[in-house]
Amino acid sequence: MTCASYLSLQGVGMQFGGTAVALDSISLNIAEREFITIVGPSGCGKSTLLYLIGGFLQPTTGGVTLRGKPIIGPSPDRGIVFQRYSLFPWLTVRRNISFGLEELGISRAERDRIVAEHVRLVHLEGCEDRYPRELSGGMQQRVALAQTLVCRPEILLMDEPFGALDAQTRRILQDEMRRLWLRDTKTVLFVTHDVEEAVVLGTRIVVMSTRPGRIKEVIERDFDIADGDEFEANPRFAALKLRIWHSIKEEVEAVRA
Amino acid sequence: MKFMPLLLLAVLWQTASMTGLLPATVLPPFSSVVAALVSLVTSGEIFPHTAASFLRAGAGLLLAVIFGTALGLAMARVRAIQRSIEPILLSIYPVPKPALIPLFMVWLGIGDVSKIAVIALSCLVPVVISTFNGARAVDDILLWSARARGTAEHRLLWRVVLPAALPQIATGVRTAIAIALIVMVSSEFISAEHGLGYLIFSYGGVGADDAMLAVVLYLTAIGFLIDRAYVAGLRRLLAWHAFAH
Repeated sequence: MTCASYLSLQGVGMQFGGTAVALDSISLNIAEREFITIVGPSGCGKSTLLYLIGGFLQPTTGGVTLRGKPIIGPSPDRGIVFQRYSLFPWLTVRRNISFGLEELGISRAERDRIVAEHVRLVHLEGCEDRYPRELSGGMQQRVALAQTLVCRPEILLMDEPFGALDAQTRRILQDEMRRLWLRDTKTVLFVTHDVEEAVVLGTRIVVMSTRPGRIKEVIERDFDIADGDEFEANPRFAALKLRIWHSIKEEVEAVRA
Repeated sequence: MKFMPLLLLAVLWQTASMTGLLPATVLPPFSSVVAALVSLVTSGEIFPHTAASFLRAGAGLLLAVIFGTALGLAMARVRAIQRSIEPILLSIYPVPKPALIPLFMVWLGIGDVSKIAVIALSCLVPVVISTFNGARAVDDILLWSARARGTAEHRLLWRVVLPAALPQIATGVRTAIAIALIVMVSSEFISAEHGLGYLIFSYGGVGADDAMLAVVLYLTAIGFLIDRAYVAGLRRLLAWHAFAH
C-alpha cells in the first residue's frame, strides 16, 4: 500500500520546543500529478506540514517518503513558493529567476533562454532588470513562481502564495496557476486559508483540525473546473465550498468555546 | 540653501571678531582662519600631511573592514565563536580607544604601525557588530529558499548571508569612517612628524591659532566630503536597498 504511493506521510507528528504539538499523526498518501489543497484554521500547522515535505524541518515522529525514499533535506525537485519575502532583494528579477540555474552550473546562454521563457510564462516581460522592492506583491509572487519553476521540480509546494495579495490579483493568479498545472502537470501541494481557493484549485482537499493539527477529512472534488469563470454558477461548487466552510467553522468555534 | 545656517554662523563669528566682542586671543577672526587655510593649500604645505594621515586612516579602516566582516559573519554562523568573542568585544566597546595609544606605542613603536593598529582596533567594533546583526537578521525563508533551489550548505554564507547583510555592514563602515578620522588625529597628537593631527598640535603649541583652526576646518571639510561620497556610492552600489539616510 505504502510502496504504491508516490508521496507518503506516515504518522507524522511535529513538536516545537518540547511542548506545543504542531502536528499530530498525519497520514496521507498522494499520487503523482494530484493537486492537493490543504485548508484549515490559522495556526493548525498547515505550513509546518509543507516545510516537512520540503525537508526544511524533520518530523518528531513518523516519516515522509517520496517514491519510497525518506526525505532528509531540501532539494530542487521539491520547489517551494513562500507566502512572501522569499525573493533575494539584492538580485534583479532576471537573476532571481535564474538563481537555481546558476546553482546547477548551467551555461549563460542556456540560462538566458530558460529565464526568458519563464518571464513570458508568468507575464513579467519588461521587468527583468527591476529589483523585488520595485515590484507589487502580485508581481513578486510571479517572480517567486518562475524562480521555482525553472528548477523543473516534480513537486510544487505552495505556502499560501497568494494569501497576502488583493482579491483581484489573487483570482488572476489562481487562474494562471490552474492553467499551468493543466499544461505541465506536476504534483502540487497548496496550503491556503481561503476555502474558495482550496476548491477552485484542488482535485483533493485536505481539511485540517485546529491545533494540534490533524487531518479532519479529505474530500475529493468530483467535478471539473474548466478554464473560465462558469464554475461559480455550478451548484456543486457552491455546495462543496459550503461544506468545507462548515467543517472549518466547527474547528474555529471549538477553539473559541 | 542647506548650508545657510553655516554661512550665518561664519558671518556672526566674523562680526563678533571685528566689533571686538570676540578677542583674537580667544578665537582668531574667521577671515584670518580662511586666509591661513588658503596659504596652507597654495603653498602645498598641507598635502604631504594629508597623505600621511589618510594613509594611516585608510590602512586601519581597511584592516577593520576585512577582519571585522569576517569576524562578524563567523560569530553569526558559529555559536561557539559568538560565545567566545562577544564578551571580549563588549569589553572593548566602551574603552576610549585613544587611551590605548601609549600602550600600542610600547608594543609597536612610535611609527605608523602603532597608529594604524589603534585605528584598526577602534574601527573593528562597529564593523563586527553591524556585520553580526546584519547576518543574524537574515530571514530563514531566504536560507530555505536558496537551499530549495540547490544552494549547498557551505555556499549559503557567500550566496545569501553576506549579500543580505551588506546594507547593515555598510552602515557600520560609515560609523567606522568617522571613528577612523577621530583616532587618526588623536594618534598624531602624541608622536608624529607628519600628519594633520601633528600639524594641529604643532600650530597650537606655537600659538598660531589661525593656522591650527585652518587645519581643523580642512579636516572637517574632507570628513564631510568623504561621508557624502560614501553615501552616494552606497546608493549606487546597493540600489536594491532603500537606505534611510
